[in-house]
Amino acid sequence: MAVLEVKDLATYYYLGGKELKAVDGVTFNIESKRTLGLAGESGCGKTTTAYSIMRILAENGKIARGSIRLGGVELTELSDEEMRQTRWKKASIVFQYAMNAFNPVLRIGRQIVEVIREKDEMSEEEAVLTVSTLFDEVGLKPERQVDYPHEFSGGMLQRAIIAQALACDPQLIIADEPVTALDVIVQNKILDLLRKLQDKYNLAVLFITHDLSVVAENCHDVGIMYAGNLVEVGDATSVFKNSLHPYSNKLIGAFPSVVGPKKRLEFIPGAPPNLMNLPTGCRFHPRCPFAQSICKDVVPEFEEITSGHYAKCHFAGELDLGGEQ
Amino acid sequence: MTTNDTILNVQDLKKWFTLRTGLFSFRREKSYVKAVDGVSFDVPRGGSIAIAGESGCGKTTLARTILRLVEPTSGSVLYNGENIFEMNRLELSDLRLKMQLIFQNPFEVLDPRHTVMDLVGEGLVIHNLHESDEVLHDRVISALEDVRLIPAADFATRYSHELSGGQLQRIAIARSLILKPDLIIADEPVSMLDASIRTEVMNLMTDLQKEKELTYIFITHDLAQARYIGDYLIIMYLGRIAEMGPMEDVIHTPRHPYTKALVSNIPIPDPTVERERIMLEGETPTPVDLPPCCRFKARCQEIGAYCKEEEPQLREVSPDHWVACYCE
Repeated sequence: MAVLEVKDLATYYYLGGKELKAVDGVTFNIESKRTLGLAGESGCGKTTTAYSIMRILAENGKIARGSIRLGGVELTELSDEEMRQTRWKKASIVFQYAMNAFNPVLRIGRQIVEVIREKDEMSEEEAVLTVSTLFDEVGLKPERQVDYPHEFSGGMLQRAIIAQALACDPQLIIADEPVTALDVIVQNKILDLLRKLQDKYNLAVLFITHDLSVVAENCHDVGIMYAGNLVEVGDATSVFKNSLHPYSNKLIGAFPSVVGPKKRLEFIPGAPPNLMNLPTGCRFHPRCPFAQSICKDVVPEFEEITSGHYAKCHFAGELDLGGEQ
Repeated sequence: MTTNDTILNVQDLKKWFTLRTGLFSFRREKSYVKAVDGVSFDVPRGGSIAIAGESGCGKTTLARTILRLVEPTSGSVLYNGENIFEMNRLELSDLRLKMQLIFQNPFEVLDPRHTVMDLVGEGLVIHNLHESDEVLHDRVISALEDVRLIPAADFATRYSHELSGGQLQRIAIARSLILKPDLIIADEPVSMLDASIRTEVMNLMTDLQKEKELTYIFITHDLAQARYIGDYLIIMYLGRIAEMGPMEDVIHTPRHPYTKALVSNIPIPDPTVERERIMLEGETPTPVDLPPCCRFKARCQEIGAYCKEEEPQLREVSPDHWVACYCE
């Protein structure tokens, strides 16, 4: 059974009486030991999806419809207190800027102990010991838990955040751009660590990033979002090699690589739509080179095209996107 | 070796920042952050040089020093044979027309209270190059057309908040182009932009280079971007050049252990490609009080006897491909 099941999730923000459909119809599952990479450009709704799952949305954000089941429990129906118990213990989140995630005037170990003692019945000494084990696990020296955040480098802080995320033994970790602010070599070390811990603790990981190259190397499954819609989801090889949605195909084609021949890359003309004023029909149709009249009028269904490979396009599977089939 | 085809010659350039240590620091020996520590290279006219490296390697300080936005500690930069550090204010002002800088974040560069017309024309006004308002208007329009902001007359009346990140960066480019520069130094010009728009701006930059016969110095942390725009690659590590050479040469046959590790760690947008990654110990140290040996020694996996004694100098290992390592 999947650890996380998100079905037809829609989250809207309310701005001065107007509705902003940040997430509108997102459906995916993540099983234990699997990583789903959720990718897309700024403003496509990937972070809002993560915040909806954790229910840490800004005050004007509301889950409008859909279901989020974590280990069989419907999160959208939990009371605030029950949800508070779920965070960290069942699901935890790793944020992009490790620098901002810790309080600069408290020792790092102290802050993790605080989380553990808040969530589990545990004595101070036991909690400190747990933090030592966790530090060891993420490749930090246990004696450094008495340091302050400014004494850690960016990579070390990211390790400490991961230790904190693991502290209460969750089933799901949401990593929101966990390595974007880091240099490539450090970035890969953190990603290797995350993978190692995932195998050891049977974690399901929701990995959010704008960088498809990182997704290609680190995720089992890939979901591509555009203007609040999940437009395609499937295993990494299928999505990258046989994209079903023109947007995924174009986005993948826009990433330069250091291997293979140097070729001129394609770009997608235009810009993503304003979420307050969405186009009718398929949200991608104004930028889509394959758009027909039906795309303007009818919202496409999110359908399974080949086994485990879904897309939200009227012509999914029929277009020649240059895949390797 | 400054020939007619060299637009810029950087000779042993150093920029050290003094470290503030405290009240009684005058008693102690000063320590320095050696952000740029002896860098030499030539930029051929019409070339496109990418300078890459991790954060803190000195690539941005190098760019700022080349433009003399900060004064160097020592060394020289010859622009068409003239040392820019010996120029007076007037000469420098003329030089700034010819050497333009494009920054990473277009949102911060462009004043939100000005229209695109004012923003793009600003350089001409400052340098007193607009003969009349009509000339100014025409030149702004043609600069906007150069960066494919069409209809230009429509864009000219807008404010920066009405435009997307990609459009803003194109306006930043138009601001430079209107002064008809020879050399453009671009500091991470597309790192803030989303993938689909990033490609559009990178394609524009490569096209403009051909159309306007520009020379680029392109600064980036992303080797994939560097490869896309540049034809020559300089890899910096802690203020020095670790390796430099023709782009494809360096990317495919890196010689310096640091370059090897860096290239092997760049993610590839293809899940079916399997590669071996070279992992380095630790993280990049700060360039303060560096020992008088190879500065990569602490993280290097190929240490030899010499590495501990003296700083390796750049040596030519194949045509125009230089490496600062004893292993080669």
